[in-house]
Amino acid sequence: MLITKEENANQEFRGIGKIGPAWIFTMLCLFAVFAFGVFGYSRQVVIGETVTGMRTIGVGGAVWGLYIVFVVFFIGVSFAGISISALIRLFGISYLKPLARMAELLTIIALSLGACCILADLGRPLQGLMNLPRYARVMSPFFGTFTLVISGYLFASVVYFYLSGRADAATLAARTNSKLLRLFYKLWAFGFKGTPDDYNRHSNSSFWLSIFILPLLITAHSTLGFIFGIQSSRPGWYSALQAPGFVIMAAISGTGFIIIIAYAVRKLLHLQEEITHKSFKWLGILMMILTVIYMYFMIVEELTAHYAAPEAELEVAHQVTRGAFAGLFWTTVACLAMAFLILFIQYIKGKTILGLHVLAGVLVNIAAVFKRFIIVVPSQTHGTLLPYRHGSYVPTWVEISVVLGLVAGGSMAYLVFVKIFPIVPLKSGGHDDGPLGVDLKESRFSHMRRLTAFGLTLLIGVSVAVIGFLLSARIGTKAYLDPIVPFSPVIFITGVMTSFISAIVYEIVPVSKK
Amino acid sequence: MNMKPADSTENKMLEISEPAEGLGRKSFLKLLGAAAVTGWIGSAFGSEKKKAPQGEWEKVGDGKKRKWGMAIDLDLCSGCGSCVVACHVENNVPFTGDDPKKDGTEINWMTLLPLRQEGEGQLTPLPCMHCENPPCVKVCPVNATFQTEEGIVDQIWDRCIGCRYCENACPYSRRYFNWAEPEWPETYKQALNPDVATRPGGVVEKCTFCVHRIRDLKEKVRAEDREITDDDVRLLPACAQSCPAEAIIFGDLNDEDSLVSRLSDSPRANRLLEHVGTKPKVFYLAKEKPIGLDRKES
Repeated sequence: MLITKEENANQEFRGIGKIGPAWIFTMLCLFAVFAFGVFGYSRQVVIGETVTGMRTIGVGGAVWGLYIVFVVFFIGVSFAGISISALIRLFGISYLKPLARMAELLTIIALSLGACCILADLGRPLQGLMNLPRYARVMSPFFGTFTLVISGYLFASVVYFYLSGRADAATLAARTNSKLLRLFYKLWAFGFKGTPDDYNRHSNSSFWLSIFILPLLITAHSTLGFIFGIQSSRPGWYSALQAPGFVIMAAISGTGFIIIIAYAVRKLLHLQEEITHKSFKWLGILMMILTVIYMYFMIVEELTAHYAAPEAELEVAHQVTRGAFAGLFWTTVACLAMAFLILFIQYIKGKTILGLHVLAGVLVNIAAVFKRFIIVVPSQTHGTLLPYRHGSYVPTWVEISVVLGLVAGGSMAYLVFVKIFPIVPLKSGGHDDGPLGVDLKESRFSHMRRLTAFGLTLLIGVSVAVIGFLLSARIGTKAYLDPIVPFSPVIFITGVMTSFISAIVYEIVPVSKK
Repeated sequence: MNMKPADSTENKMLEISEPAEGLGRKSFLKLLGAAAVTGWIGSAFGSEKKKAPQGEWEKVGDGKKRKWGMAIDLDLCSGCGSCVVACHVENNVPFTGDDPKKDGTEINWMTLLPLRQEGEGQLTPLPCMHCENPPCVKVCPVNATFQTEEGIVDQIWDRCIGCRYCENACPYSRRYFNWAEPEWPETYKQALNPDVATRPGGVVEKCTFCVHRIRDLKEKVRAEDREITDDDVRLLPACAQSCPAEAIIFGDLNDEDSLVSRLSDSPRANRLLEHVGTKPKVFYLAKEKPIGLDRKES
């Protein structure tokens, strides 16, 4: 036992360290799926990507398939976590507070899975890891995915997650019996004493982080949409609606995912008192509004594509609504419509039935996967501008096992975390319950030192980011060139990361009484 | 011949970091570090030309502003397919064989497509269009595909990470991915062209306008101390050389007297998918306009 029995019984520690047979069984099942995914990927590495269902465009296939669908899906799911945390902080939505940490963890894991999925798609993943940092070009929409999403957005989420967990880590460090865990908690808390000053500082830093993360979030999801939206060569992709559509769909599926996870956590950890119906109601209304917006987008999209579209656009649109992809398309529509109706009726009746909310969450996520499939595939198989023969794409067991393996891996990471850190913030660590320790008044000198350190880190971060961007972008020269300095994309990313580290610096510079 | 770009950074660092005689270990290390840093930064702000990812052959250039282009006369073309075969052999394009599992993975730098569908079928040879405004180059995340100063859309095989974004960006679908490691029949392996690098599995490849032949020609005329003439290049690429009807003509579009630029001004001249705005440098000559071909805007 890591935590004393009585405390655990009080539900104060959310079941940390309590490893039961159900948990072990689930982990074993997930590990089996994960291992099968690794096996599938090994076939792809050994034999080549011929084992996937993907084929050359014009010779009967699509060059992007299930992997890209799930890159978009995983990165989409990540939307909910950090945006919900930011909304909680900016607008003070207190009844969502218990959901903040599980949402943030979802963001971090989903983004990591998205990155793995990109690597699974690459023909030469090792060269990808080497050449992307070395030569990444600002002109390519992949630059946005690679720097903003994977590095900036993921890192910002980690910083946010780390800082908001410090108070709980401090509490746990004082109570745990295991030496290893104590070290882990102490490192996480890193000098958090629980004074009012500590809480104030965290309040400040999370406010400013939220303000910076929200626009970064929109930009990151838009660049993902631009990957498709700015390709005039692919009928069905070339649309200004792509970027906003990606942002909204990401928000829908992310919110749906949070509802599912929150329900599971509430059930398994018996947290009926903390995660209330109100939290679900709020998420339900948010998802309902977003679903309406997305259905409006879809109507606009299909109307434009069917009314007086160029030949090739019309061909793709017909394939989607009444051709090879009609089944997927109408399932998507049905899922979205049903999810909307479920939420809308509950809203009208003023009731919140959790089971139905979860059902809506599942439905929108099925819709999210199918819709991404409809975006990615038909424009390649049926969207050639020259009269090449039409192709088809069906994912093989390799692709499916790799994707399922990734999902299993992510779930395992989630389950492990749940057992070493409270997935729902502790009551005693919350600001509402008063500070933990003695009040250490910070001296003027100490305060100035903190501000200087913070300001310097931020200044260095921003300047390095700007320099890195200019070195990579080569503004004013011919665009098709390498970065001025090799690895300058790394300089840019380092700058972005350092800027976010400044928030950590602001919080952890030790207080001195002098 | 390997067509990797010369890495000026590494070369420079090697040159500078030669240890001077009589230096102590410490000062040598310091010098080494300083040299590495100056080499790194110096190479960055060195001349523009050096940093552009261009093939070795650019170095033997004769300072002329060229724009290589091609004209394909569809009224002469009989659709025999010898250009397809010649291209395959010249450029070491891998075979996929009869295995049905490999359907859809075949690679054809030059292919035949029935563009004129009404009436008698007209098979049209399709090389890479070497667009002046190439969408594939725009989207490449690592600059593996690029435009040379002479307008050829070339590719550094070894830098490609295999994301296949360029394949999606190409409106003509003229790019091919190596879905597996390339294979050739055992006897064929001995006949691979030594002038063209074979590509590893997992990279995208495409027509290069036989850029290695242009490089060889430049070396040859330099040795002979003369200029490249239109006669030298008219049938230079393998496809043009093999065409029995001489329907494929290659040359410098910037040279007003070259055959290819005269043909490109012909009223019969069209370009493929002009409305996409890629400005292809391959011109199709046809009395009747085939599907997908647009009149050249002047």
